[in-house]
Amino acid sequence: MAKVFIYPGTSLILSDLVSRFGHRPLGSALSVREKVQTAGLDSPPLQITPEDPKKGLRFAAVEVPSGVRGRMSLHGPQIEEAEAGIIILDADLAFGCMGCARTNELVRFLLHQRDIPILELTYPRSDEEGIRFVAAIRDFLSALAGGAAA
Amino acid sequence: MSAPVRIALLACGAEYSGVMPEIYEAARQVEAEVFYPDVTLADVRAAGRGFGLDVHSADLKLMIARAEALVEGRTEADAVFIATCFRCAEAAIVRNELRRYIHEGSRLPVVSYSFTERTTAGTLLTRMEALVTIARRRALLARERQEGITLGLDSGSATTKAIIMKDNEVIGTGWRPTTQVQQSADDVIALALEESGIRRSEIEATGVTGYGRFLLGNSIGADLIQEELTVNSKGAVYLADRQHGFATVIDIGGMDNKAITVQDGIPGVFTMGGICAGASGRFLEMTAKRLGVDITELGPLAMKGMGQNVPMNSYCIVFGTQSLVNALAAGNTPEDVAAAACHSVAEQVYEQQLQEVDIREPVIMVGGTSLITGLVHAMGELLQTEVVVPRHSQFIGAVGSALLASGFIRKG
Amino acid sequence: MSEAAAADRVSARPGVQPGTATKYVFVDSPELTAADLALRGYEIAPGVQIKETCFGLMITGPEADVERLVDELRLLDPDRIFVKDRGFPPGDERRCRANLGGARPGFYGHENEMRLVRYISSGLRALRDPKKADLLRAKPRSPDEPLSVERLNTIIQES
Repeated sequence: MAKVFIYPGTSLILSDLVSRFGHRPLGSALSVREKVQTAGLDSPPLQITPEDPKKGLRFAAVEVPSGVRGRMSLHGPQIEEAEAGIIILDADLAFGCMGCARTNELVRFLLHQRDIPILELTYPRSDEEGIRFVAAIRDFLSALAGGAAA
Repeated sequence: MSAPVRIALLACGAEYSGVMPEIYEAARQVEAEVFYPDVTLADVRAAGRGFGLDVHSADLKLMIARAEALVEGRTEADAVFIATCFRCAEAAIVRNELRRYIHEGSRLPVVSYSFTERTTAGTLLTRMEALVTIARRRALLARERQEGITLGLDSGSATTKAIIMKDNEVIGTGWRPTTQVQQSADDVIALALEESGIRRSEIEATGVTGYGRFLLGNSIGADLIQEELTVNSKGAVYLADRQHGFATVIDIGGMDNKAITVQDGIPGVFTMGGICAGASGRFLEMTAKRLGVDITELGPLAMKGMGQNVPMNSYCIVFGTQSLVNALAAGNTPEDVAAAACHSVAEQVYEQQLQEVDIREPVIMVGGTSLITGLVHAMGELLQTEVVVPRHSQFIGAVGSALLASGFIRKG
Repeated sequence: MSEAAAADRVSARPGVQPGTATKYVFVDSPELTAADLALRGYEIAPGVQIKETCFGLMITGPEADVERLVDELRLLDPDRIFVKDRGFPPGDERRCRANLGGARPGFYGHENEMRLVRYISSGLRALRDPKKADLLRAKPRSPDEPLSVERLNTIIQES
């Protein structure tokens, strides 16, 4: 089972396909869950405190807006942990964790900096594109070590 | 208890900067409720096209859609708070355009703010309080004449001021640098009482504003405790006799600066603080000290000088003072240095804050710094307009408080 | 609020203890509703918390139980059931629409992708269809590829 960073991290489609084909999707929900389940924090809504943008300094310099650094404190460790990545290029209606275009540019850049397999595609808008989309993801994932897809 | 004032939040990045608890806390302290205007995905998809600003960030698209819901009346709100990350260019464009759009398309008071992870509830409190005052106290803010005998007190970060008014006239004034908040207030009240010849017991109502308003409001049992944004706006248009129509009020204070677009005496858009001490009254005080003149002499001195001769534009009071020292060491005249200091402060307020409000004439300058003629002149040059400085402008918060306090006199 | 009190408040909420998980189970099928899914869910795993939501269910409980239930539910209509993790447990006041006044940002993202899952369903069905072998070997659409008539039609309908 490989850890696959999904972009957008909030994607239902990618999260589903990655786990359906036997791998572990690294998406925003897991980072947020970790925050929500950390006892002692009371910083609604996301349990992100002013400390998190500071943690984001590992991925973006201090002159980068706090919202970018706060988001990077969620995405950055997952990018480092990822063994593969799937990127949807036209994800322009992903909000919240993926709602900042500048953060998303940085996420994609850092993902490409890692020496890991990456698949980039666009959302399907027809049955034919859906077939090609699913097949490409299945093939990509089956080439990763330990997947269930075949 | 009345229903809480509902403040629509248009924000990007706040949840990820850890400042949402601060926004909620500031709202809670002024008994307001922060909410997100509800929209559909179709609204968000249409927002880019309809509004005409095609931004990349989806959360900014969401902000635009929510603003449209407010202006088109699909969502009810009492006020709008726009907040985006400091240093984000994309968000700054959206923030400014939405502020203008809401101001022009609705009667909702708007304040915009760019936060960092260090932003605290305390910083946001006065802004939230002003939104609540405007939403809840429109009737009070509609007052155009002072009645009876009232006391207005302004406990500022640098100075404390008191005003006693009787039948729409200022009859007593008091002014002192702020040292201990309570003691300074007692001193200025005593001065104002002495000048007016009024006994304390004759005062029918009292209003307090400024940083020390909560402490003093409680200790002297004030009838009105109100933030300085609405009080100063009201005081400014009252003193300048521009109570109807539009005006812009600029107050360069000791610690923070206020820029307010006013319509019929009620703030529509305002900004507050946000820049460093190099753009404050405090910097001008330091300049005067370094030049060996009293602060009251700085303005006339600056009027005789040519600011362009001296490079000075630091946001930081330390570096600003260094420029000052260098300029004098290089042989520049005190007149030129004074003019440059005034120009530097005016320019920074112009660049940093006046861009966040709509400049509507007349431009009224108030607060202690409005007496520094060189500063007023520099601001007028930058804005290409004749700046109005009404009589008693240095007592603006106290006058506004005394005026509004007369709404609390019990007839009887 | 003290740190300890805050911790108590947080840990008292269902589904926020470490080791528990919440998953969305969304369905886009003419033959299966969220209510059907919920009913079946309670039959299989009575210990977990199931809540109906706009596009399907939210299931909360110990991670292993949730995983097991989700695997079982998928079997009801494998090509048209989609699963995703959720950070918050259902009804969490920090993320609840009733408290926010408007939908949380993630809702719009789901709404956006739920318009597209029917194409994913076609893709999943095709994996078992020998007649689609050519298409399965084709590369996914690249952003530079000219629009097909079918795609153009979809875009026109969407706008």
